[in-house]
Amino acid sequence: MSTRKFRVTVDGEAFEVEVEELAGPGLPVGHGRTDAPTPAGRPEMALGTPPPAGPVVPVPRAAVRPIPVVDAPRKGDGAAPRTHTPPGAGVGERVEAPLPGTVLSVNVKPGDTVKAGDVLLVLEAMKMQNEIVAPRAGTVRDVGVAKGDTVALGDVLVTIE
Amino acid sequence: MARDKLAELTRRREEVLAGGGPDRVEKQHAKGKLTARERLDILFDPGTFTEIQAFVSHRCRDFGMRAERAPGEGVVTGYGYVDGRLVYAFAQDFTVMGGALGEMHAAKICRVMDLAREVGAPFVGLNDSGGARIQEGVDALNGYGSIFYRNTLSSGVIPQISAIMGPCAGGAVYSPGLTDFVFMVAGTSQMFITGPQVIKSVTGEEVSMEDLGGAATHNRVSGVAHFYAVNDQECLGMIRRLLSYLPSNNLEDPPAVALADDSGRTHPGLGAVVPDDPGKPYDVRDIILPVVDAGDFFESQAWWAENMVTGFARLGGRTIGIIANQVKVLAGSIDINASDKAARFIRFCDAFNIPLLTLVDTPGYLPGTAQEYGGIIRHGAKLLYAYSEATVPKVQLILRKAYGGSYLAMCARSLGADMVLAWPGAEIAVMGAAGAVEIIFRDEMKRSDDPKKVRQERIAEYEEQFSNPYRAAARGLVDSVIDPAETRPELIKAFAALSQKRETRPAKKHGNFPV
Repeated sequence: MSTRKFRVTVDGEAFEVEVEELAGPGLPVGHGRTDAPTPAGRPEMALGTPPPAGPVVPVPRAAVRPIPVVDAPRKGDGAAPRTHTPPGAGVGERVEAPLPGTVLSVNVKPGDTVKAGDVLLVLEAMKMQNEIVAPRAGTVRDVGVAKGDTVALGDVLVTIE
Repeated sequence: MARDKLAELTRRREEVLAGGGPDRVEKQHAKGKLTARERLDILFDPGTFTEIQAFVSHRCRDFGMRAERAPGEGVVTGYGYVDGRLVYAFAQDFTVMGGALGEMHAAKICRVMDLAREVGAPFVGLNDSGGARIQEGVDALNGYGSIFYRNTLSSGVIPQISAIMGPCAGGAVYSPGLTDFVFMVAGTSQMFITGPQVIKSVTGEEVSMEDLGGAATHNRVSGVAHFYAVNDQECLGMIRRLLSYLPSNNLEDPPAVALADDSGRTHPGLGAVVPDDPGKPYDVRDIILPVVDAGDFFESQAWWAENMVTGFARLGGRTIGIIANQVKVLAGSIDINASDKAARFIRFCDAFNIPLLTLVDTPGYLPGTAQEYGGIIRHGAKLLYAYSEATVPKVQLILRKAYGGSYLAMCARSLGADMVLAWPGAEIAVMGAAGAVEIIFRDEMKRSDDPKKVRQERIAEYEEQFSNPYRAAARGLVDSVIDPAETRPELIKAFAALSQKRETRPAKKHGNFPV
């Protein structure tokens, strides 16, 4: 049984106390709980080594992007004309790298006007020349990368407003 | 019949039909929303909707509810016909107590759910409700639970479709979440477990209702919704369209429609859609549309996990489900969301006897810590499980790259593909040539005076040996290498030859699907 020391303050007066854990009936060991006390007098439960804490995962922020207008006409659903303003319109929109890779070419510069679906740049990744397209129409405010740059997942490539 | 008794019936009917009254109906319209009955009229063939249990009323006496009238209990239930086929439905009536769900409101929904399941007809729920009727306390909660239970019983027996056409918050979201397809209407529908106010008080995040749970969010970010409609009319038209592809229940085959296209139609330009350079992207829908009947493809979850395309089409007048790698998004790689999306679609199709067509062009699984920490192993396993489990006719068509584990995951022969077709440009291998050479010939390149030359030679050798469909064809893993122009007639022949497929599996309670 281990002995531990504690300092306890009562009404502003500090006391040092020594606490010794005595054998007793103990608490039932929880199923799969590694922090449950081991009952005295019984062998250590084989709970295995707790896994080390995982690394902090950088979770890319999932931006709410507008639903782009469908290019291919959708047939036969009696669709009304799509006249609504997509959500998020009117706010500067950051186009982020969908996967890590190398910038193969940049097709736009600040001030350019783009339509939804226009190719902003080509990102080589997974041995594919991935076309990064404008999620909506607007003016290019900022281009954050140049040809040959290596980008990570979630890096801002282009900002459109 | 005494005249006064008929008059009494008319009076009671009119009271129910009026819903929450003209003021509340006007408010509903001002929000761009139709009323419950207007929606049902559009959903069903004209004049075919029959309401049942219109006179059900609540029995709550607490919190001033004794005097509260709730015509129809805030929900319209019944049956009707869509393209002449029986469908059961409910539509919550926001004009009556905000469409709030109480004991008897839930009981009405449960009644049509039971009827739909027992007769084997699809079930459609039009959701527009402020949530639980708090005055009814645990009776309202019990109502939600009874609906969830029936959603689960009906799963795989009848198609269940939910449309969110107003608020749908808290417990209410889980009935749609349990159903097969969720439609959302832009601007007027929101779904969330906890609303913006609770989120702000607990986590400090500030988010609008629309950004938190609007149609765009659930169609693009969360994958909760499958279809995005701009207004009520479009939403209801899309539900009708979806139903046109589906059988009424799991014992029927999907409806065959009069062929609106030529079964033997070839498409000489089809092969050129896929660039020879394996590093060039294209849109796989440019392959799908020319191949299927009349270019008619109804895509599900078109805005989420776009690297995997899923949707319904017809070949030779018969419904098929299509699963395809989309090379122009994330290089067509398979990630967590793509696996999840495809697996759920495959399971729906298998449950309802819809044959599967899988179009393959994938470089592999998406690398990265985000994927590994997110559990791509358990999510990717869903795809393998869903394909292996499916007993409907399964046709795999390899367009270009089919590498390693991702080749298997896209319905390879070893997962039970009944027919495997490949275009001449298909590359079926463990991995791409460059990567393979780095591993196999590492030592040889190290020893060589001119490693670059060795590398080039070995890559050329590997490509000649493996970057084609014939190695796999020699093992019988590819049944036929076809001319891309003849894709449509070849697929129609293949599905016709498999249409009577029967396959028995070991009896079990249920498998342990890697959720």
